[in-house]
Amino acid sequence: MASPIKSLDFKRFLPMLKDRQANFAAARADLPAGSDQARVIAKALHPKRQYLKVAAVTERAADCKSFTLVPDPERGTEALAYFGAGKYLTVFETIGGLPVTRAYSISSAPKDALAGRYELTVKRVDGGLMSQYILNNWAVGTPVEVSAPSGNFEYQPLRDAETVVCLAGGSGITPFLSMANAIADGDEDFNMVLLYGSRSKENILFYDELDALTKRTDKVKVVHVLSDEGAANDLPGAEAGFLTAALIQKYAPANAPYSVFLCGPQQMYAFVDKELEQLNLPRKYVRHEMFGEFHDPASQDDYPADVPATVKLTVTVQDETTTVTGSSSDSVMQILEKNGIAVPSRCRSGECGFCHSHLLSGKVYVPKHLEYRRLADAQFGCIHPCCSFPLTDLVLNVPPAK
Amino acid sequence: MKQYDVIVIGAGNGGLAAAATCARAGLSTLLLERHNIPGGSASSFVRGRFEFEPSLHELSGIGTPEDPGMVEVFFNNLGADVDWCKDRSTFRLVIPAKEGDKDAFLNENGVWVTVDARMPVGFENFSRKLDELVPGSYDSAMAAFGLAEKMYKAFDALGEGDSLGGILKAVKYMPDFMRMTSHTLKEGLDALGMPKKAQDIFNTYWCYMGSPASRFDFLYYMAMLHGYIKNGTGIPRLRSHAMSLAIDKVIRDHGGDIWYNSEVTKVLMKDGKPAGVVVNGTKEVYGKRFICNSAPNFVWNDLFEKKDVPEKQLKMTNARSIAAALTTVYLGMNKTKEELGITDYSVFIAPVSDSDEQFARCHDYFSGYCIINCLNEIIPDCTPKGTSQLFLTSMTFGDVMRGVQPQDYKKFKTRVAKDMIETCEKALNISIQPYIEEIEIALPPTFSRYLNTPQGTPYGYMLDKWDSMIPRTLQFAQDQPFDNFIFCGATQERGDGYGCAYHSGEKAAKLTIQAMKEGN
Repeated sequence: MASPIKSLDFKRFLPMLKDRQANFAAARADLPAGSDQARVIAKALHPKRQYLKVAAVTERAADCKSFTLVPDPERGTEALAYFGAGKYLTVFETIGGLPVTRAYSISSAPKDALAGRYELTVKRVDGGLMSQYILNNWAVGTPVEVSAPSGNFEYQPLRDAETVVCLAGGSGITPFLSMANAIADGDEDFNMVLLYGSRSKENILFYDELDALTKRTDKVKVVHVLSDEGAANDLPGAEAGFLTAALIQKYAPANAPYSVFLCGPQQMYAFVDKELEQLNLPRKYVRHEMFGEFHDPASQDDYPADVPATVKLTVTVQDETTTVTGSSSDSVMQILEKNGIAVPSRCRSGECGFCHSHLLSGKVYVPKHLEYRRLADAQFGCIHPCCSFPLTDLVLNVPPAK
Repeated sequence: MKQYDVIVIGAGNGGLAAAATCARAGLSTLLLERHNIPGGSASSFVRGRFEFEPSLHELSGIGTPEDPGMVEVFFNNLGADVDWCKDRSTFRLVIPAKEGDKDAFLNENGVWVTVDARMPVGFENFSRKLDELVPGSYDSAMAAFGLAEKMYKAFDALGEGDSLGGILKAVKYMPDFMRMTSHTLKEGLDALGMPKKAQDIFNTYWCYMGSPASRFDFLYYMAMLHGYIKNGTGIPRLRSHAMSLAIDKVIRDHGGDIWYNSEVTKVLMKDGKPAGVVVNGTKEVYGKRFICNSAPNFVWNDLFEKKDVPEKQLKMTNARSIAAALTTVYLGMNKTKEELGITDYSVFIAPVSDSDEQFARCHDYFSGYCIINCLNEIIPDCTPKGTSQLFLTSMTFGDVMRGVQPQDYKKFKTRVAKDMIETCEKALNISIQPYIEEIEIALPPTFSRYLNTPQGTPYGYMLDKWDSMIPRTLQFAQDQPFDNFIFCGATQERGDGYGCAYHSGEKAAKLTIQAMKEGN
């Protein structure tokens, strides 16, 4: 008996090639068009750069200002990228002729972006190059260059509990202000219990805005936690002291799971993380916003001895190779920037991987808590320059910043 | 100004393979990539304490030491070092029962289903199991695998071939070759007398190539299935990022240059042919020959002036249809797979058994079709102790995004992910949502962003009856736009898949090397 495959007519093969070319020949000769909403969304949410200008400046405290940023169509930005509350923008500046970048959480509501408005709030950081520059130089009309909204510090209903206890310290209030507005606008849906740590009533940022929000929606509750002695006495409803486990328990739901989100300075995380240990929350319910650049690698227990103070970096960007020197206490990214070499950067905290580069020779130190590299990166000598500190002279390939 | 022998546009799997092959042959090679890491789909990403595999389900091209698969051979030949983990399972297909289904039964998970097929590796084992599930299907399955074995040899002959020479060689190896390639998967299995219900199980991998049984050619499906069933599959221990970095290293070790964050924004023409590219809108680089891993639709629209685009290329892009796209959900779980009740690496959950019916549903935002993978089944320590990672995949056309505005996108994503998670929970009678520690959701816009493909498709153009793999292969040379510019990647002859893309890059490189030798 013949194989059953023989029942298929082999002659059908003969015209296949001719027919295929005939199909091509019969088609339109226009540039390929057609709707591509996937691409429209991708480009709208993730522009390479956004060119903005300062439209208003609001003094929030003696050392803190908010900047209203609007699109600058003359430089090519017609509309602002929409964002999920909690995301940050990386600001690109040139200070003293050298490239500098910093990430700032967006403090305005997602809805405002549709109306062409972002707000960034900048608080002076002691020795902070960018914060001081912005506070001293940005005024109405100043051109500003920022990234697309970035980061993962957002509420996710499939992962997070229905109630989130948000722990804010100082200017760490900014992403929570955006989230609270998003709740009031109906763009996010969760119960926010905001425990906001400040030194005294005068140091509270956005006091009136937060107060107004609690009146707009009963899903946002705000508790000010004031650490200066006696400060809480001046403010009805305020708690005295710090963001402790007891305080979290007092305001968290008693019989339902809750998430804890943290945003604030490094010292606050060190304190609050210890407090959280007592609460024994599943790891999925505790989320930290990144606290920004890490300094002083020598402070870490596992930092090796006998690291030379000065190191030489030979860096190739595309087809240009340069040799520079820098301090081994600076990150690779800082050394390059201080020598006028812009490096791709977003979070500057190790996490986003935007600065992914190839280390061809030499050794670097990466603080353990900033080790967000992919597994294969270590095997193939890839580093995140923003949190890699040279231990020897280095030879590396870094992509161009733009 | 330096002139490279070859400039490769895009470091997806095709571009990586092309650049590595050219660099190893001693050509001065520049690989340009818009993203900051190589690989396109072959990558990974970190969320919290999890590192996710973004697209790879398994590699059919990883065989046994005695009979290594195509991908393994490719890596070995390059001298690229990757640690493979072997998977000795194939797939489990579960079709939950609907009300009134007469053939419904209660499966091991306590779920009413009409199909629950956990298929083993090996032609004989697979065919026996199929026969157990659908009596009377053994002979047809073995006959199909028999054709696949013979055809595999014909396939090799085609690799390099021009039109006529290729056919003659292929036919010499296998007289039934022309029959298989000119008939669809459905026609082929019908001819072999395979019962419909068995066909639906047999055809489970149709979604890997994005073309259903009535449109996908019999020959190519069998070539693919052969790779999966004969020896099982494999996956890189350190995610696909390790594969891409391994090739990156080969390129650098052989003197090739790779520029990341370096997007080609224009192709420069001279005497009617490409002569260089503009990178990031500012920097000009010149080359003698070009291999392009980017999708033709965007290449012609974005990189060329219309007057320079060969008319046939425009007609080709307009004649072909953009293949389906994907929706994927990545879950870092704070429970082990045992605690979750996961027992298989790969479970295909389908609302209907027929691939064409399923395909038609993929214009919905969620078709009910979902593949759930648990990487810990193959790599137990791929996540920290006490945790696991899950990867859910559904097919969906990019056009489901029509009408979705950027500001609606986040809610839309969450809704799709919720439906996919619940579909898996119901079909396997397990609980997932309470244990999600990390989640990331990718829809066509995500793929559009990272892969830069039309409508976010990873599949290229649909492998359709009239534009199937063999005609694409035989007409490869005449379909290329310029004599110094060759396309590679998922839009080319074999469609998507790591092995297919590597093959296309390698082929483009070999043609380029040959042309350089001949002094063209």
